[in-house]
Amino acid sequence: MRLTRRQALVSAGAAALAGGVAKPAIAAKDPIRVGYLPALTGPSSSTGIGINRGLQLAVQEINAAGGIDGRQIELITRDTQSDPTKAVNGAAELTRGANVSVVFGPVNSGESLAVVPLLARSNTPQVHPCWVDTLTDAQKYPMCFRNAPTNQQIGAAANRYVVEILKKKKVAVISDTTGYGTASVNAYVPMLKSMGADVIYQGNVDAANPDLKPELLRMQSAGAEAIMPWSVNAGFLSRIINTRGQMAWDVPIVGQTTLGSGQTKDLLEKPDYWAKVYPNNFRPVCYAAGGKLTDRTKEFLDRLKSAKIDMGDTLLWWIALGYDSPRMIAEAMKSVGTEPQQIVGYLNKLKGFPGVYGDISFTPEKHDGYPDDQVVMVEANSLKDGAFNLAPGYGA
Amino acid sequence: MTQLRLGRADALGARLTFGAALPLLALLVVAIAFPLFGGGYWGVIATRACIYWVLVAGLNLVVGFAGQIAIGWVALLTLGAYTTSVLAAGNVMPALHPYLALAIAGVVGAVFGLIVGLPALRLRTFYFAITTLGFATIVTQVALAWQSVTGGGVGVPGPVFPQPFSSPWGFYYFCLALAAICTWMTANIAASRFGRALTAIRDADVAAEACGISKPALLMMVFLFSGAVAGIAGGLFASLQSYITPDAFTIDLSVLFFIAILIGGHGSILGPLLGTILLTVLPEFAAPLVAWSTFLYAALLLVIVLAMPGGIAELLDFKNRRPLESGRAIMPRPELLARLLGMANEAGSLKVDGVTLSFGALRAVDGLDLEIAPAEVHGLIGPNGSGKTTTLNVISGYYMPQQGAVRLNGDALPASAPAQRAQVRIARTFQTPRIVGSASVLENVMIGATVEGKGTFVESLLALPRHWRDEAMLRERALLALAAVGLERLADVRADRLQHSELRFTEIARALMLRPAFLLLDEPAAGLSAAEIAQLSAFLRAIARSGTGVLLVEHHAELIFDVCDKVTVLNLGRKLAAGTPAEIRSHREVVDAYLGA
Amino acid sequence: MVASIVSTGLAIGCIYALIGITYNVMYSASRVFSFTAGTLGMLGGVLGSLFISRMGMPTFAGFLLALAGGALFGLVTEIVAVRPVLKSLEQHLYVLSTLALALMVQQFTAIEWGTEARPFPRVFDLPRGEFDQQFWLPMLACAVVVIGLELLYRRTLVGSAFLAIAEDTYAARALGLPERALRMASFALAGVIGALAGFAGGQMLLAFFGNAPLLTFYGFVPVALGGMGNNRGAVVAGLLLGLFQQAANFLVGGIFASVAVFAVFILVLLLRPEGLAGALVQRRV
Repeated sequence: MRLTRRQALVSAGAAALAGGVAKPAIAAKDPIRVGYLPALTGPSSSTGIGINRGLQLAVQEINAAGGIDGRQIELITRDTQSDPTKAVNGAAELTRGANVSVVFGPVNSGESLAVVPLLARSNTPQVHPCWVDTLTDAQKYPMCFRNAPTNQQIGAAANRYVVEILKKKKVAVISDTTGYGTASVNAYVPMLKSMGADVIYQGNVDAANPDLKPELLRMQSAGAEAIMPWSVNAGFLSRIINTRGQMAWDVPIVGQTTLGSGQTKDLLEKPDYWAKVYPNNFRPVCYAAGGKLTDRTKEFLDRLKSAKIDMGDTLLWWIALGYDSPRMIAEAMKSVGTEPQQIVGYLNKLKGFPGVYGDISFTPEKHDGYPDDQVVMVEANSLKDGAFNLAPGYGA
Repeated sequence: MTQLRLGRADALGARLTFGAALPLLALLVVAIAFPLFGGGYWGVIATRACIYWVLVAGLNLVVGFAGQIAIGWVALLTLGAYTTSVLAAGNVMPALHPYLALAIAGVVGAVFGLIVGLPALRLRTFYFAITTLGFATIVTQVALAWQSVTGGGVGVPGPVFPQPFSSPWGFYYFCLALAAICTWMTANIAASRFGRALTAIRDADVAAEACGISKPALLMMVFLFSGAVAGIAGGLFASLQSYITPDAFTIDLSVLFFIAILIGGHGSILGPLLGTILLTVLPEFAAPLVAWSTFLYAALLLVIVLAMPGGIAELLDFKNRRPLESGRAIMPRPELLARLLGMANEAGSLKVDGVTLSFGALRAVDGLDLEIAPAEVHGLIGPNGSGKTTTLNVISGYYMPQQGAVRLNGDALPASAPAQRAQVRIARTFQTPRIVGSASVLENVMIGATVEGKGTFVESLLALPRHWRDEAMLRERALLALAAVGLERLADVRADRLQHSELRFTEIARALMLRPAFLLLDEPAAGLSAAEIAQLSAFLRAIARSGTGVLLVEHHAELIFDVCDKVTVLNLGRKLAAGTPAEIRSHREVVDAYLGA
Repeated sequence: MVASIVSTGLAIGCIYALIGITYNVMYSASRVFSFTAGTLGMLGGVLGSLFISRMGMPTFAGFLLALAGGALFGLVTEIVAVRPVLKSLEQHLYVLSTLALALMVQQFTAIEWGTEARPFPRVFDLPRGEFDQQFWLPMLACAVVVIGLELLYRRTLVGSAFLAIAEDTYAARALGLPERALRMASFALAGVIGALAGFAGGQMLLAFFGNAPLLTFYGFVPVALGGMGNNRGAVVAGLLLGLFQQAANFLVGGIFASVAVFAVFILVLLLRPEGLAGALVQRRV
């Protein structure tokens, strides 16, 4: 369901034509160009594919409802292929070739690190959902906004769950050898220590290593009371879960959202290994106490079902994030038009944009829009229709 | 009249060199004018193509000219990018000026180019290819792990060059200038004795050794240069990306560089340049296919290897499509030999002194004594497997005998050191002609006297005066040698288009380039017609008259008895008989073992 | 701890050894090293997962089909990437043609199968124990292959024919041996061995396209260290490599383990280019 540039052009053209035939007065309205830099192929494409499903749905809905003041959204997509080099090429084409009004993406941190300075230089407003902390800076990159949590927020929520709710003191932190993994471990270990926890194991392990037993044995002999893995590699995470199960070691696993993905589940040796696994997730898309979803989320799930969008091999929050992003941008443009400075001004004052994924707010000093309290931990094996239960012990 | 003919050939050579440079100049003009018709987006793509070409130009010498399958060269791009960025950002020491950081990246690249390349001297092709792949992986891993310096997975910001190179077009011109300089330098090397020596190592490494070309020394210089420009390309790359992380340096990129050279065709500068531009630009056009780009590059590589190993360069080689005249006859001119070979031989005689050589249990040469005197033709005959070629290989230094030695004027020559024979002016030809098929006949002959050039690699790189003097000297001598063997009309023809007999004479011309004191010939008459053998006979006698001592290993009995002053007969590795041709012809045992009645 | 390192090290060492044997079988038949050995290993795992897990075939049928797929890819390698370049004068074209073919298959797998690791099914429906099937399956496969090849080469006529064309192609041709058919059969056999390695190792390595470059490199180390064409050397070197790698992983961590393996590999090669057990190549002139 990937909308290529040509398809976008054709559909936008057809829509414009249809609009023109019906109402000759607005036949002259140009489409609004929105740049889109997803990673739809390549090794880190799972996030991009999930986000894309929600994004395409949202753009179709907006355009079907008449677009923004009668102007259709023309999505100009450049697949970055999980490659920062292609991301830079794509960003250059979007800004200097296609002259887009705003860019959404990239969705992977490595690519964003290269693209954010480039978009800043060409004065193009940018919204991205990447987690690496340094990717927003209200002074250096005044036109760049993040509508997702930062690494800090994610780690803080997980750490809080382990130390304050589960009340575990001795913690083992493990990641793979990717940039994301190593950066996370480096950030979270000091945070844990400052909360009074005792980090008795800290390691980066090659994700291709087929046997993690020595690592878990090390953790066990050091007296670990909780394991915190940080990786988006389902193979790596599943090996940790499987090894814990093989050792019959009863210790909670608390960490990255991918612990709860369909891909991780498929790689488990036994379904009951998935017990006591608590990944990050986001309150708006979870079942609250009593097994209820918010109305907004329920409505969204219904819409996904009727659009026949598959959730089984991805995460609901990715789809929700993809759905919210163009709607937020569209609302900005509906209010203040498509001039870059106007859009930035609007976003700088945005308070509580009601997204399915979360309520986004920005200020001129803070361009990280996701609220702390909406980052929560959930129970992995409670997965039902793409949503999870909150982890036990979660009060507020 | 000879001089006039040579002059015309030389002018042709000069015209051909200009013809080769014309497309490159045209590209440069288009590139300089690019901002006038290309927008900012294409500016980024063009800048990227320039940066890639800086690296590929250097790698071209390694892969295209030297024939080393260095697949993991992206490691040097990574090293250059991180060195420049870290030094310019001031992570480990106070921030350096970007130009200085870039220069240091070049030095780091050179050092690591040498480290990556050195195994090539010991390892077979496939082994070397795998080690370069392993090296590329290791460098990425280290970049990830060494977080205090490289920022680990989060990476470091790239360097920003000062005005006027900080704007997009300014940076484009900076990269373009460096790309143009690299093109110029590598084109200079390609047209120098070093470039020819590289192709000799690639396609005829045994013959290269016989010409005195030292593979280690030459490869080291090439790896240093290639590494240096790859490091600099890395620094430019980091600036273009404005931020580098380890995941930007994929094996796909390495494959792209490598395939660009192969698509372009080895031994060419223009071909790989066009290949690089093609592979950089292509993904920008075929948006739906972009996920398949590596697959398509690999498929393209397969097609090229199977159907057109010469690549784009072969397609553009118009002058070698012109048909050659049929019914060509070789007409050597022995009278030119005096001019070619110069002074008489004062080197004394070449002796094989009690040499014994065994391969495992097989004794190939058994206590052989042989003497080749100056100004005489000494024949070496015997049945198949009698050790003739092995003896020749011992004399020319390829095999180390278990006992005995080869002595020149009483002093033992080093064993297992074939490249040193050229220093003492011992030259040879081979049983099967070993030539560089894709080079011209003239270039093949010029390879013969590579070691007599005086200019260094750097002087050729920068086209300094001594480089031109060397080239003029080699060219003149090679034309004279070709005229002497009667092949001057084929000077600019690709060597692999020649007939077998013409290749034999080309090899002789190449050997004569060294003005040898001793010339060793391994069955030069094999495959020659009767007329050609007669020509060869007169030619060899003329060579000997000029003072050179000739050792002729042959099966053609008539040629031996016609031209030799002395003959030695081998059987089962031992000397069966030695003497004048008349004595040998009637020697009982020789007749029994070999000649027949 | 030690038990874990030993069992994993030996198991993965057997997988590396089998890939090394795949290289060797292809080398023996054609005197070329093919870049496709690691890709064959990857295909064994991917095809096994495709047939058994994705398409729901019975395990044994999926196993046979995976081996057949390997044989097919081996044949394709010989026909497309090896035979055409053997005729050419240019020595090194086979490196490029087999590299190109291997890359094409890897990329195709990445795009069609996906870039994530997919689960590999249990082969035998046994409960999980200390010494689980994911460890002894590769060892069993390695033993079967080594013994099988030994019997083939020494006891059967076909095996002798294989050895003949490996020793001296000209003499073999002069004797009337069908060189081309034997070479094709060798490559098909190599394909089966490679796919078997991937299938037996599937539970450990999962069905993952990224196994291809991994096995290409680590599967070659046993060949380099054990000597070209030397299967026994490959097994010993493979086992040592597996143990060394797991020990290094445990002692110094993932990244430095790879650096350590690579450094040892390079050093051994530079000191003894023919391998620890190989024979020097003699005549070049």
